[in-house]
Amino acid sequence: MNGYFAFLRKELTESMKNHRFLILFFLFLIFGVMSVFLAKYIPEILSALAAEMELHSEPVPLDAWKQFYKNISSVGFSAFIILYGSCLSSEYAKGTLVLLVVKGLSRKAVILAKYTAAAILMTVSYWISYGAAYGCTALLWQDIDLSHTAFAAASLWITGFLYLSILMFGCVLFRQAFTSILFTGGIVALISLLGMAEPIAAFHPLRLGTDMIDLISGTAAPADLMVPAVLSILLSVFGLWSAMRFFTKKQL
Amino acid sequence: MNVLTIQNLSKCFGKQKIIDGLNLSVPEGSVFGFIGKNGAGKTTTMKMVLGLLRPEGGTIHVCGEPVSFGQTKSNRFTGYLPDVPEFYPYMTAKQYLKLCGDVIALSKDELLGRSRTLLSLVGLDGVTKPIGGFSRGMKQRLGIAQALLSQPKLLLCDEPTSALDPVGRKEILDILSKLRGTTTVLFSTHILSDVERICDHAAFLHEGKIALSGTLSEIKAVHGHDSLLLEFSSDEDLQSFKTQEAVKPLLLHCEENSREMILHSRTMDAVQASLFQVLAKTGICPIKIELMEPSLERLFLEVVK
Repeated sequence: MNGYFAFLRKELTESMKNHRFLILFFLFLIFGVMSVFLAKYIPEILSALAAEMELHSEPVPLDAWKQFYKNISSVGFSAFIILYGSCLSSEYAKGTLVLLVVKGLSRKAVILAKYTAAAILMTVSYWISYGAAYGCTALLWQDIDLSHTAFAAASLWITGFLYLSILMFGCVLFRQAFTSILFTGGIVALISLLGMAEPIAAFHPLRLGTDMIDLISGTAAPADLMVPAVLSILLSVFGLWSAMRFFTKKQL
Repeated sequence: MNVLTIQNLSKCFGKQKIIDGLNLSVPEGSVFGFIGKNGAGKTTTMKMVLGLLRPEGGTIHVCGEPVSFGQTKSNRFTGYLPDVPEFYPYMTAKQYLKLCGDVIALSKDELLGRSRTLLSLVGLDGVTKPIGGFSRGMKQRLGIAQALLSQPKLLLCDEPTSALDPVGRKEILDILSKLRGTTTVLFSTHILSDVERICDHAAFLHEGKIALSGTLSEIKAVHGHDSLLLEFSSDEDLQSFKTQEAVKPLLLHCEENSREMILHSRTMDAVQASLFQVLAKTGICPIKIELMEPSLERLFLEVVK
């Protein structure tokens, strides 16, 4: 465990020093704030720009959350994967890991520490973004009483762990960051495609990242997402375990 | 006792066999030169000793413990200095040693004491700038410090001087010389003057096998030829010398370069006796006569021929 904590400290420091955390933090924060403001004022801006355009309805808090989840689940998580896609490839290329591994640093600890650091930074950025979105929504609308907003946010957060596990496995398999990112995209696309098949659709794990709006608008209940949530967590653990297992036998 | 024993080791990359039945023993306390040309398999061998590469066959023992691929426990006996060590550029030398100390679970006091001693040994005490601003020589010296932090019994140095300028080379060789008697050093290189300067044992790696091995004096005595350099003042003297009957047997193993001639022989006493007789008889006076010690370079060239 000494090695794990030492390497985790190194990973967290590195994320600060190379501004990875700063970029992620501000990106998520901007999405949190901007999603709400855009949802609120875009109709007004549009009608001001095009006078003949008619607004059919007033923007509501649900629009803000739709915008927030759309931005975070697409651009936010893509940026996160791109930023962390090089977490192992740069160590392979420079040979920095070899010096520590030959000192007895467990290879499992390397993967676990990298996963933990990325998960911590993703969690902090994500929930602060959520907090910002919640605060702004409360500021711009008086009545923000929507059901299960926190549970919906937790669903997407769990999906983030699944993406991270797939990315970590890709980083172990491939030496180039680009290939690892491509692998992650490919696997996510494959899981999404599988989700289209009727028997799988009800419990496929990526429902967590797409059905949040149904939860907030009340057309879906948290119980509907329990199986996908459990499945997503199990797949994340399996992905991480596979990454550690493969890395133990990787030639460095 | 041998700190490192390699038996019948083999390793392929694709269809190319890099190491082919390699046997090597490194005695405790020695500074062992592991010589081979570029691409001979020196780094591959070292990486297999560290469990970083999977051998196709053979066994490796460090301090009597077998080396296994992946996470090998035998690494607690070894320190490793790669040819171009790379560190995390935002850390200082002290911070990097702390990270290494935490990995090997040193106590705070031990870490402080060892860091101070090692940074002083490698001349980096008082350097507070981040490693990103280090020269190659400074990185190499920090590489030695980190490799020695765990007080290893065997230090593997993979071409530590090949990328350095003469000043940097001297610094590294001086540091490695200081380790004699405390740590066994396996020092891979193709710079033979470095081996002659600090090593007491050597092995030549060629075509995946050890072609020659032993103490430097043994290798030179058994496999080396003595050489005698003659430099004549004119071409006429050289030609006249070559036509002498008593000299002809000596010319079977000789090199000529302008007005210089180098005679090679295992029985240099007899060569000298004949030579001086001829010189006295003919009155030819070379401007230079020099007995040359067998060099590792000549041995190396013979091995890889």
